[in-house]
Amino acid sequence: MSTLAFMSPELAAPEALASPLARALAAAGPALGLQDLSRLGKVELRGDVAAFAPEPGEELLRLTPQRAFVLAEGEVAGTVERARAAGLRAYDVSGAWAGLALSGEPLMRRLTELDLDSFPTAGALAHVTALLFRDGDRFRIFVPQELGHYLVEVVLDMTRGLA
Amino acid sequence: MSFLLTCPHCGPRDVNEFGYAGEVTTRPTAKPTMRELTDYVYFRRNVAGVQREWWTHRHGCGAWFLAERDTRTNEVMKVELPS
Amino acid sequence: MRLEPRPGERIDRSKEVSFFFKGKRVSAFPGDSFGSALYASGQRVFSRSFKYHRRRGLLCCSGHCPNCMMTVDGVPNVRTCAVPVREGAVVVPQNVRGSLDFDLMAVTDKIGGPFTPAGFYYRVGHRPRALWPFVEKFLRNAAGLGKVDKHRGREHRTDTEYRRARVLVIGGGESGRTAALSAAIDGPGVVLVDESRQLEGHDLGGVEIVAPAQALGIWEGGLVAVAHGDLLIRYRAEKIVVAAGALEQPLVFPGNDLVGVMLPGAARRLVEDWAIKPGERAVVLATDDRGLETADVLRDAGVEVALALRVTKDNPREISAQGRRGRLRRVLVDGEAVDCDLLVMSGGRQPAYSLLAQAGARIEYDERRGIFVPRDVPAGIAATGSVTGEIGNGAVPAPSYGSGGDKCFVCHCEDVTVKDVKRALAEGFDSIELAKRYTTVTMGPCQGKLCQLNSVRLIAQENGEGEAAIGMTTARPPWAPIEMGMLAGRDHEPCRRTSAHHRHEEAGATMMWTGSWKRPHSYGDVAGEVRAVREQLGVIDVSTLGKILVEGPDAGAFLDRLYPNRFSDLKPGRIRYSVLTTDGGRIMDDGTIGRLGEELYYVTTTTTGAGRVLAWFEWWNAVWGMDVELLDVSGALAAVNLAGPRAREALGALTDMDVSNDGISYLDAKQGVVAGVPCLVLRIGFVGELGYELHCPSPAGEHLWDTLVAAGARPFGLEPQRILRLEKQHILVGQDTDTESNLLSAGLDWLPKLDKDDFVGKWATELVAERGVRERLVGFVMRNPVLPLEGGQIVSEGRSIGRVTSSRFSEATGRHLGMCWVPPELAEDGAEFQIMVDGTLEPALVHLQPFYDPEGARLKS
Repeated sequence: MSTLAFMSPELAAPEALASPLARALAAAGPALGLQDLSRLGKVELRGDVAAFAPEPGEELLRLTPQRAFVLAEGEVAGTVERARAAGLRAYDVSGAWAGLALSGEPLMRRLTELDLDSFPTAGALAHVTALLFRDGDRFRIFVPQELGHYLVEVVLDMTRGLA
Repeated sequence: MSFLLTCPHCGPRDVNEFGYAGEVTTRPTAKPTMRELTDYVYFRRNVAGVQREWWTHRHGCGAWFLAERDTRTNEVMKVELPS
Repeated sequence: MRLEPRPGERIDRSKEVSFFFKGKRVSAFPGDSFGSALYASGQRVFSRSFKYHRRRGLLCCSGHCPNCMMTVDGVPNVRTCAVPVREGAVVVPQNVRGSLDFDLMAVTDKIGGPFTPAGFYYRVGHRPRALWPFVEKFLRNAAGLGKVDKHRGREHRTDTEYRRARVLVIGGGESGRTAALSAAIDGPGVVLVDESRQLEGHDLGGVEIVAPAQALGIWEGGLVAVAHGDLLIRYRAEKIVVAAGALEQPLVFPGNDLVGVMLPGAARRLVEDWAIKPGERAVVLATDDRGLETADVLRDAGVEVALALRVTKDNPREISAQGRRGRLRRVLVDGEAVDCDLLVMSGGRQPAYSLLAQAGARIEYDERRGIFVPRDVPAGIAATGSVTGEIGNGAVPAPSYGSGGDKCFVCHCEDVTVKDVKRALAEGFDSIELAKRYTTVTMGPCQGKLCQLNSVRLIAQENGEGEAAIGMTTARPPWAPIEMGMLAGRDHEPCRRTSAHHRHEEAGATMMWTGSWKRPHSYGDVAGEVRAVREQLGVIDVSTLGKILVEGPDAGAFLDRLYPNRFSDLKPGRIRYSVLTTDGGRIMDDGTIGRLGEELYYVTTTTTGAGRVLAWFEWWNAVWGMDVELLDVSGALAAVNLAGPRAREALGALTDMDVSNDGISYLDAKQGVVAGVPCLVLRIGFVGELGYELHCPSPAGEHLWDTLVAAGARPFGLEPQRILRLEKQHILVGQDTDTESNLLSAGLDWLPKLDKDDFVGKWATELVAERGVRERLVGFVMRNPVLPLEGGQIVSEGRSIGRVTSSRFSEATGRHLGMCWVPPELAEDGAEFQIMVDGTLEPALVHLQPFYDPEGARLKS
């Protein structure tokens, strides 16, 4: 077994996995347009990040020349291997980050001071660390998974304030 | 406290995104006397003027860097990555 | 009385709005404020003053003074002159015992004067000492204006929003609008904030108008907070233009607070905005042209202007206003009486420089104009319009006119008179900051807008000093009053939850904060949970522990440099206990370090130390630049500690791993699959029983917990864990140690490897070894069945010589025991000492070995 197998959710039986947002989102209705992205694969890269070339299905967020995240639609074992082959250190952090997709600049402006045109980036949202992506009016927010429930509570409350 | 600090990687951000790690100090190179050790551990220059200090972009990219800031006005003259 | 419709009026006469005042229905038009509607209906007395409970009427009509404050729909201190009427609103006066017309508290005005000068509460009612609590209670009930309903709760929702602006203009008067339009030529991102309703619905090409809204302050980094209805907007502005204007100033003369005495702006607004005749017969006394021009506005509204006079300090006069039952009847000017029911007074205008001062501008006294003006406005900020001080004709009023007669008010809000200020100076409170705090001038609802300049002039006159030397008090936010709730925002406190959080709640656990995590204190049966671990099997959620991966060619060397003991010689698959020290040799944190590979270590820390330890690691590596990666996996991994005699049996049933004592020995780190989940198994102990700590990916944490509980493990919380670890004398960093504790005194003398070249804390540890320790951390048992408090003092010959850090009753041993700091001479097994418990000295004995299973046989089985 590779030395960091104990970090990989994808090595567990699928029925053993749960999302940290599940309960909080169950309280919200589908009409709010919130989507749980916690199950997405995420890899943290350390080293010469420029040496990593993302493949289809992979999205790269470069934070510094020495640190980046890869979002992957499928399994991440291959991503990790390719990164290591390119001389980088790579860690399966799929279980470390909870993810939420939502829509609308007005809602984002209740959540963060960051310049919404500067995404993708890492910064503070609702007073916690977040990795942030934007596709038009759709925003993807990743926070440390232990704060996932809190994030949904805040988003639901801000949504109520905008209504 | 609400000044903007420029992260060398991410650009200007609210200072509260960062962790402040104090004045740059010089660690003794050989076994110090009790006085020299106490000075190093407990005393700081605490200038009313430009101070060289450590910061980390805790809620952002996580990088550690140095800044030169006027402690009287919070004007940041320079930020740089450690060499 | 409403005038004929006039151009520019702000009321819509085609509609009707009505509200209730003291139970009676009052008619109004859309565009009226509560105050204007009440005035139109004939109401003249709007409130009773703070201390003397004197009748007060409309004075400024711009939301600055306290005179029109009433309680509207249960909300106290509403400035009725500025708030638009609402259908069905319930308006009641405040600060009265009785009614506005007959207030019992007005006795303070009639006879209380000599007993209630400024600062009286520092001298009155303190002797005999027993009297003060009653006097204070009375005064506190009498003080204040509106009443807050404490039981009402928070019904009113406010939100906070973050916005950006290229140019933020504060103030929608002519110069503000000009500045905004000019900025809009260069592109978008121009915002204009105005506190009045004048610009509502207006279109200012290319400029976003935010009104009515108050700019509360300017902070570092171009941060401007704006209160806009129920929204607090935090702007980051590249450039800020302050066009906040200038504030009308009252004149100071006896009777200047009578109902019917008002500032020019109030008279103007009543006539021009609300088409209301302010009075029948008026006197106008003004220093400035603008003030005098009010006479024309009044005449135009059909008011007889009996006298319009310019008053400046070059032309000393005796002025006195007189009235009956608090309402103006006549004005005496140099002995000549003029009957009137309206007196418009103006001492010129003072630039509203507060925001500029907050931003760092210097405030200077302009001798010619007799006002304080902003200078040296910092980069990124600009000032335009009357706020710059380019106003007035250079005429300055006298500090006060006349003496004797009625009270002569410097501060309407706090009822501070000229006499009060003179007395404060005479008593030695002679600087502006001292005089302010002693008399409370400028400390009321207007916060100096209407009174600070006058108080400075008065002090200058009395002290024989120039106004420039006296200066003004420090300008601070908020510029306008704001509800605490709006500043507090939505009460969201970042809360970290483990994967099994809801399982703990479902099992009836009392959850408590540990740092920003929630953890179970216990599941309701502390003794039962302790017993379960000692006799059968227990499981505790330890996901909150800090976890750091240290990987790289320099990983071992890095840890050797940071920790007192060695890790470069740790065999892969083995774990060592570790304590982190500062360079001062003080204990920072403790935990375990397991070696998972040649270049890979797994560090655990305490829950509350996790962030600090990670920062410590990262900082040292920023300094050293070693070839090592540090990855914080505290949240990535869930962790549980399975402990008790049945632990091996239960674990074995859930995994194919060899869980025999040889398969996973004490202090081994092994990986395998448990309950279908990849796990890192650490055989370590904190509670002194056979135990395994299982670390798995967080998404699988809930499943792992459920499986273990189903297998018969009883959940136990932090409180049982405390008892269990105390029975083994395991220290809790931060409980048994503090920021000054060092390794040698804490009984960890075996830990530091002083033969290492260098480690953080080595020199300090060596110095302590050379000097000798001054105290020792030891275990103790009580002779009698009493439990000392944690923090309880160890007493010898009447002096405190040590303290208890942990104490509990131990069922397993049947004793009351704990840990404490004692002088080194007492740190011998069996030595007796005394602990103060509830006023009695109770005997205790030093017990150096763990209380339970001292050989550790159960732990290593």
